[in-house]
Amino acid sequence: MESKTKILIIDDEEVILDSCTQILKGGKHLISTAMNGEIGLKLAKEFQPDLIFVDLKMPGISGFEVIEKVRELDPLIVVIVITGFATVSSAVEAMKNGAYDFLPKPFTPDEFRLITQRGLDKRRLVLETLALRREKEMLREQFAAIVSHELKAPLGAVQQNLFVLVDELSGQLTDEQKERFERMKAKINDLTNLILTWLRVLSVDVQKIQEGFKPTSLLTVVSKAVESVQPQANRKDIHILVPDPAPIPPVNGDEGTLVETVVNLLGNAIKYSRNGGTITLKTEKSGDDLCLSVTDTGIGISKDDLPYIFNDFYTAANGQKVEKSTGLGLAICRRIVEAHHGSIGVESELGQGSTFTVRLPILKPKE
Amino acid sequence: MNTNNKLLIIDDDPDYVSGIKSVLQKAEYEVDVAYNPKDGFQALQSKHYDLLLLDIMMGRGAEGVAVARKIRKDPKLRNIPVLIITGLREQIAFLFPGQPVHPNFVETDELLEKPVEPKLLLEKVSALLNMAKQKKA
Repeated sequence: MESKTKILIIDDEEVILDSCTQILKGGKHLISTAMNGEIGLKLAKEFQPDLIFVDLKMPGISGFEVIEKVRELDPLIVVIVITGFATVSSAVEAMKNGAYDFLPKPFTPDEFRLITQRGLDKRRLVLETLALRREKEMLREQFAAIVSHELKAPLGAVQQNLFVLVDELSGQLTDEQKERFERMKAKINDLTNLILTWLRVLSVDVQKIQEGFKPTSLLTVVSKAVESVQPQANRKDIHILVPDPAPIPPVNGDEGTLVETVVNLLGNAIKYSRNGGTITLKTEKSGDDLCLSVTDTGIGISKDDLPYIFNDFYTAANGQKVEKSTGLGLAICRRIVEAHHGSIGVESELGQGSTFTVRLPILKPKE
Repeated sequence: MNTNNKLLIIDDDPDYVSGIKSVLQKAEYEVDVAYNPKDGFQALQSKHYDLLLLDIMMGRGAEGVAVARKIRKDPKLRNIPVLIITGLREQIAFLFPGQPVHPNFVETDELLEKPVEPKLLLEKVSALLNMAKQKKA
């Protein structure tokens, strides 16, 4: 029914190899044996065992080294050490280094069968855990897809019919009625964007971002971001001061998500600025890092709120109701910046404004 | 002037379809609707259409993609212009990771995002029809 479990035994004593093979005979397992660590490691690669027994004291490569190499090869393989008598301390040492259990020599067939069973049970648990984790990951992605379709589709249908109604009734509607339609359209638009933002949080996939890393200039990132928020800024008559175009070293990153981060920070700065305010963007070197800061002269953030603002769904609750917020923008920024091995921080004074700083490691030139 | 052009919509959301159908009919297109991929493909095979408006996310997943694939394989249908209308730009990227947003499902196609302004819809439809005509000529 199940495929046979594979067991590898590595020991320099032939009698151990033979007796172990003998004990486990009966067709339930595939058994392979090795006389020393070197052959053992080769077999670990080719034979792909579920469980390895390894003697700690062997000529050539020691059992410790075998454990270490096996862990590098495949950390899911369960390793049990075989130890000579009165060497419990080295067995404990081996377990600290990743061995699952130990079997002191001499052992009876029953003891060996029992510990083999335990080792295989452990292996099964390890594999099941991995499968569950993968499934959880897939569910998360599918959930994103389902949410996206099930929530967005009905909204899209409503919006589509509103568009058409406005079109069909054009000429017959009073200004007041037109205004009502516009408000409905705007509300549905907000709702759709909210769904998209939630989806974005679910789908920020650190690994995928990192796959697209290449040398990226923060100046390009800044200018693209500024271009994207300029209309918003104009509406509130806010001036955005950009850094000198002096050359700065590149960072290793993904331009798209970095622009998204800066757009988010600038968007917040605009949102929480008073009309006619100024936002200052600066880039500077700081040790091995490049710092990009966004400073506004807006309403600021209270000390009570500061520690939490990068958390999911957090919006400051102290009555500074300026504009609505999903409480996700900064959480997304943090995820993106951390995927870039950087950090994001904030300094703020209530009523004076805030400075958000993104630190990213400078790309080291290849030697 | 549009009376000769027959359009087919394949989309599983009747509420959405009623919206775009009325826009197209008002512009004097002849419009048929299929509410699932199977009926849709049958309609394509049994009657001549000048353009197909195709939804992507139908039924259990991206079944619209399967329809597009079948169209591409069918020598009689291969040249029909297709306007892909989907609520899910990110979905397209999700299904075809690493590819540009517009996946070029068939010979002549365009991508529109739901919901679409009536004016833009009519523009795309007539542009696609013209493109197909030029390719034929």
